[in-house]
Amino acid sequence: MFQYVKRYMGYGILAILLMVGEVSADLYQPRMMAVIVNEGILGLGTGNVPNMELVLSMGLRMILVVVLGGISGILCGICSNITAQNFGNDVRKDCFRKVMNLSHSQTDQFTIGSLITRITSDITQVQRLVAQSVRGAVRCMMFFVVGSMALVSMDVAFSKVIMIALPLILMEVLWILYRTTPLFSKLQEKLDGLNTVIQEDIAGARVIKAYIQEDREINRFEEHNKDLAGTQFRVLLYISMMRPVMNIILNLATVAIIWIGGVEVAEGRIAPGTVMAAVTYLSQILNGMMMMALLFQTFSRGMASQKRLMEVLQTESEITDGTLDSMDESEEFREEFRGMANDQVAPLIEFRHVSFSYPQAKEEALHDVNLAIYPGETVAVIGATASGKSTLVQLIPRFYDVTEGEVLVGGRNVKEYSLEQLRTEIAMVLQKSELFSTTIRDNVSMGNRNASEEMIQHVCQVAQALDFIQKQPKGLDTEVAEGGMSLSGGQKQRIAIARALLLQAPILILDDSTSALDFATEKKLQDALQKEYQWTTKLIIAQRIGTVASADRIVVLEGGHVVGMGTHEELLNKCSVYQDIYESQKKKEA
Amino acid sequence: MSERYKSKVATRGLGRGMRPTGGPIEKPKDGWKTLKRLASYLGREQRMVVVLILVVCVGVAAHVVAPGFQSNAIDAITLGRFDHLPGILGWMITFYGIYGCCMLLQGYITSLLSQKVIQRMRKDLFSRMMRLPISYLDAHSHGDLISRMTNDAENISNVISESLSSLVSGVLTLVGTFAMMTYYSLPLALISCSTVALSLGVISLLTKYMRIYYVKRQVLLGQLNGTVEEYITNIKTVKAYSLEKEVVEQFSTTADHLTRTGIISEAISGSMGPCMNMISNVAFVVVAVFGAYFALEGYITVGVISAFIVYSKQFSRPLNEIAQLYGQIQTAIAGAERIFEVLEEQVEEEDGEVLEGACKGVIEFSHVDFSYVPEKKVISDFSLRVEAGKKIALVGSTGSGKTTIINLLMRFYDADAGSITLDGKEITSLSLKDLRDHIGIVLQDTILFSDTVWNNLSYADATVTKEEMEHAAKISSADHVIAHLSQGYETLLKESGASLSQGERQLLAIGRAFVSKPDILILDEATSSVDTRTEKRIQDAMQELMKNRTSLIIAHRLSTIVDADEIIVMDQGKIVEQGSHASLLAKRGQYYQLYMTQYAGQAI
Repeated sequence: MFQYVKRYMGYGILAILLMVGEVSADLYQPRMMAVIVNEGILGLGTGNVPNMELVLSMGLRMILVVVLGGISGILCGICSNITAQNFGNDVRKDCFRKVMNLSHSQTDQFTIGSLITRITSDITQVQRLVAQSVRGAVRCMMFFVVGSMALVSMDVAFSKVIMIALPLILMEVLWILYRTTPLFSKLQEKLDGLNTVIQEDIAGARVIKAYIQEDREINRFEEHNKDLAGTQFRVLLYISMMRPVMNIILNLATVAIIWIGGVEVAEGRIAPGTVMAAVTYLSQILNGMMMMALLFQTFSRGMASQKRLMEVLQTESEITDGTLDSMDESEEFREEFRGMANDQVAPLIEFRHVSFSYPQAKEEALHDVNLAIYPGETVAVIGATASGKSTLVQLIPRFYDVTEGEVLVGGRNVKEYSLEQLRTEIAMVLQKSELFSTTIRDNVSMGNRNASEEMIQHVCQVAQALDFIQKQPKGLDTEVAEGGMSLSGGQKQRIAIARALLLQAPILILDDSTSALDFATEKKLQDALQKEYQWTTKLIIAQRIGTVASADRIVVLEGGHVVGMGTHEELLNKCSVYQDIYESQKKKEA
Repeated sequence: MSERYKSKVATRGLGRGMRPTGGPIEKPKDGWKTLKRLASYLGREQRMVVVLILVVCVGVAAHVVAPGFQSNAIDAITLGRFDHLPGILGWMITFYGIYGCCMLLQGYITSLLSQKVIQRMRKDLFSRMMRLPISYLDAHSHGDLISRMTNDAENISNVISESLSSLVSGVLTLVGTFAMMTYYSLPLALISCSTVALSLGVISLLTKYMRIYYVKRQVLLGQLNGTVEEYITNIKTVKAYSLEKEVVEQFSTTADHLTRTGIISEAISGSMGPCMNMISNVAFVVVAVFGAYFALEGYITVGVISAFIVYSKQFSRPLNEIAQLYGQIQTAIAGAERIFEVLEEQVEEEDGEVLEGACKGVIEFSHVDFSYVPEKKVISDFSLRVEAGKKIALVGSTGSGKTTIINLLMRFYDADAGSITLDGKEITSLSLKDLRDHIGIVLQDTILFSDTVWNNLSYADATVTKEEMEHAAKISSADHVIAHLSQGYETLLKESGASLSQGERQLLAIGRAFVSKPDILILDEATSSVDTRTEKRIQDAMQELMKNRTSLIIAHRLSTIVDADEIIVMDQGKIVEQGSHASLLAKRGQYYQLYMTQYAGQAI
């Protein structure tokens, strides 16, 4: 974290210097006050007659000092804010960049919700910590040190009071800190818990209502709610104790100062005005301490957040860039091999003895998969739910890295490519179509900003999306609502497909991304794809025999193993799993 | 990323912290009304509030009186009456002690009070939210609702715990200090007060600018948080399209903008302290000058000046505090307003008749019209009678109104015209609980909860036995999914089961519906991501399970629906064909077309 603060050290130091100015003014002011009282009002030098002139001239000087102090205070605030806000901004940006580069399994581990809270609320806490540290720490330290020294220099007897009061206050602050620090992390967790319930229950309102479980959910919420309120109460209680206890200690110190001052005056060692100044210094020390109390409170909360941010910043992305940023598999390369038989060409995608298991999973999701896909080929993957189909395709763009074996694209291990290069070669449509809340046009063109209007229209046409898009109030420029809620499942899928097509990548992967399309539309899509994207290597995951039957080859997965591979006819003859699937969908005789 | 794209996402302000409607954020519309309602929440903790006010009064009194003794002590020293000193200091200790204790107690009470109030408010809000009609939830941003529950509630809690006592004690201190000052010297008191006018002027000027930048900052923060939420939630797509750089760039632009605004708004609010400090010191000089003059004239003693110096500090502190709290309080009131807005929403009418005896499952739609938005009719003149124990399938292209029919039957929405009956009774006359109790539903978007698998499956019926559960899991083919999980039924699903595949989630949702043993079962594209063999097994099991019970199925796959007793073909909110699979094929109409396209290219 310190490296971030370092960048704005200049402003930080300036802030500290200005703060020194401000605090000096504050500290000098009681002395002037003492002079005004002692020599001006009490008239100690003028035979106990108030000296109006002195009061006036001293008063004016004091106002001057105070104004200068105030101005440096304001400037100090600006400088410390420049430091803190820029620091927070840098951390925020770095965190976000880091999150964008985390691997999927790492994102899964942090959980999406927690990453969002870290980048939003945790950073605010840390930022506050820095702002208050620059400002507050210096201020209260100076008040503390200079105030105490001034107090002691007036009369050594006052030092006894300081010697007793300060350790007491320090003990109090440390004790409260010790108590609240663990509570703050807990508080953040409880907040996460409550947020999850709310988020889920709003999203799942239909299910809750359908199963009439409103009361159950209210009870579940109330449990979290009570938990949160309880923890928060304890935090607040400790914090609320800070000030009063400090106040009691310092007021007792005031009494002691007056007592000692009284004795000293009685013995003629100091003037009465000095006692007053001493009391003022003490109240300044008190102010400094109060600020420190507040600072500690921010500090312990900020530290909990700082830890959470460091966790993100220090996570090394498991999936690191390779160095290769071009692919041999160029346009010409593909031209060359068009129409050639598979055994004459090197495979474009190849799985060699690939096994994969998700972190903390009991079983392997994929086991010893061997598969070669040739340029221009259409390969379909079919298999039961949880047979590993999605896992298989997610290994190609390195959403996950293999546990064993290797995945090759264009004859090279995927790990050798830079991620950006690898992923621009692959257009992938995910199972869950994720749309952004912007226009349809921007959603479609997000992978290829330079696409012309014709190209966009064309891919929408191929994806069978153009018809319904044109029926939207503003056509392509219609806004998509949050999470694509204004569109039906099938419409979202078609926009996602159009988006992938616009990439014009040599490899197209459809991960069960036509499940919400009615069969007529799907058929049209298939035909258009075959016609317009004939030379694109296609990898299609699907459930329907009708979807996969026309593929060059079909891979049948079962429990993470490849149990069959071949054309529709071949598999019908030799693969029992495929036969089963076929049987389950067979046309019922009319 | 194109300029347009950036600005679109940036200006919309998604999700948390930003509401889709309304003007500048933090200004309450009807502050007094909201305050009154807030007060009613406090009112429920009457005893605590009364004790709090008493404690604050005592504390303030002690705090106001104590400096008097301090000035007496100084006087005693100045005048050399050292024998009086111990007594005076004794009183000082007593009063400062009382003040300290009061503050401790005050801290305890406000902490407890704030948490009690906020817990109740959150509960009220959540209970209300649970009873809001689906149409409300569909039409409002979820991020916004969540923000009300968390951010707004948090702001109110902060104000109660931090500001309530400061406010009360601030006002009391002002009054008390003024009284004490007048007691000592009226002219000097009036002179002190004149600086208050100056303070007020500066405060109002600063808060005016603070508000402007504060609102700006909130808007930017809302945008930033929206960006974070959207991109992190959709991170897979961001990665798949290598958009990381653009997204980070967009994020940075907003973040930089926010930082600039933040620096300005903080600088303004940060200058409040130094300004007040200056004013209070000027006040001191004024008091000293006039004090010296009065002392010279013999009106007052030096001790009085000492007391006045303390009082003038005491006078400016609460003013300063209230000024600092002003923004916070306004934010909280605006937040409370948003919360109360939801609390005032019309909730679902829950009461109604209860079906007598067993539910037979006869459903009848007659001449039903419905539209989500006034101009666009989604269902028009829809009539359908489903006999008890029949299996009905709804087919038709996307947007033909199939899911809407289910929404109407479940009363997630109410029909605009026509009637829907269950066993001859209008569904609008039935109690919602009774109606929904009879129907089991598996939805298009599979919803699971972050809970154990067991609790997810037993959602409708917590009393289910282990055998019943295992049976339901087996016939819904969810048993395989569960067997793969690390701790079987006790596995905790993280993030609403996000780690499961779409198909696995669907199987668990079907299992959940089977556990509930409904009289009527509705499957809305419930098996779209399940492979066909598994689906076949589920269907066979359903035959058994749904014997003599009514079921309604929506599916794209014709293999899913060929066994149905009756197939309803829908188009643009109307029934275009109706009959069994065989009769519809024979008819060679729309259904035949659909059927042929699905199997076209499949050589059989």
